[in-house]
Order: sequence, then C-alpha cells, then structure tokens
Amino acid sequence: MIYALLVMSSPASGQCAMTAARFARGVLARGHSIKRVFFLDAGTGAGSATAVYPQDESARLQPWVDLAEQHGVELSLCIASALKYGMLDEAEATRYDRRRGTIHPAFTLAGLGQLVDAAASVDRMVSFGG
Amino acid sequence: MTLHTLNASPASAAFADCLRLLTAGDALLLMGDGVYAALAGCSHRAELDTSGAMLYVLRDDAAAAGVLDRVDGVTVVDIDGFVTLSEQYARQLAWF
Repeated sequence: MIYALLVMSSPASGQCAMTAARFARGVLARGHSIKRVFFLDAGTGAGSATAVYPQDESARLQPWVDLAEQHGVELSLCIASALKYGMLDEAEATRYDRRRGTIHPAFTLAGLGQLVDAAASVDRMVSFGG
Repeated sequence: MTLHTLNASPASAAFADCLRLLTAGDALLLMGDGVYAALAGCSHRAELDTSGAMLYVLRDDAAAAGVLDRVDGVTVVDIDGFVTLSEQYARQLAWF
C-alpha cells in the first residue's frame, strides 16, 4: 500500500513526533511505500538543522534524514507554518533578509496543496498530533 | 471501521470526544499521555471497555509512563503492530 503521514507534533515536546518517524520506518519495513510526510504547525520543527537537543535524549533530526536519504521519502514542511517557526530554506532566508536558512536539506518547503494531493492519492493517511 | 489514536490525557476533552465516537468494530490505540486510559481498574478504562472497541496501547509509551504491567486486557503493540492496525483499518482518526 501507499502511505502518507501528517505530522503536527512538535519534536521538542513528547514522543509523538519520534513515534511518527518510527512508524514511517515500520511502514517501509512491512513492504509499503510512503508518498510523502507532510509536517504542519509545530511539526515543522522536525526539519530544523539548528535545534540542539540534550545529548542524553534520542536524536530528533537523523531518523527523518535517514528516511529521506536511504529510502527517498519526501519530507515536506508546510511553508506557512515553517516560516512562523523560523524554518527557512536558503531562498526564503534571502527573500526575508535573514542571514541563512535553518532547515536541513533533506526537507523542502511546500504548500498545503501537497497535503491535499497526498491525502487524495494514497491508500492510507496517518496523522500524528499532540 | 476506524482506527482511533489517542495521544492525550484521559482527563482531556479529546478523550471524551473520542469515547463518544468509539463503536464496536473500531480500534483504539493509546499513545503518549493516552496510555493512562489503559490502566486496569480506573474509570476511564471502564468507559473504554464498554465501548466495545478493540483496545491497544503502544509499548514504548506505556513503558515510559511506567504503566506497562498494569494494562491487563489491553493489547500491547510495538510500532510493527501500529503499522498492522493501519493496514487493517482504512481510516484513522488522531485525537490529541
């Protein structure tokens, strides 16, 4: 089956965002494919290349980067949410006169249309919030 | 037939709303703060039992909350089990 994931959970609080990353890996392990992971609201923090987490906590960024780099999973940050949370790529950083981008290159900024497209074209849509 | 996922305290409005929509034939996966609703003997658990829905709890979250050995009657699943549930139920509703 083809899956899409919607992640609204902040990586900075609770386990849910990392549960979503583990779920994504589990989906692939069971032979399914993932069309897209769409990050909305506080979920866009997952793409931060600059956030620093305590060393004794599990990595928040790498599980997603691995999914993109090892399995070609598309990681889309809602652009409206991302900008509010300071998640900028180089183009947006230039546009808004910020010194540099803040998102990891495994992520791309995308419009809500990408979420609608995913929801309309996959077999399973699974959301993670709170 | 819906897979509900609850990531919120049993004292939350999300729990109450979820409970209202749960019917026999549905499945409920408790995760995050939702795992406390799996505690055997508590009133929230009794409400879930009467819904007739299949009840599941995410192992890692239950272990992190320290309730893993107090969820008799609720099926403990790991991430693979969560994926399997998503295969079996075409729709998912995330409560949080």
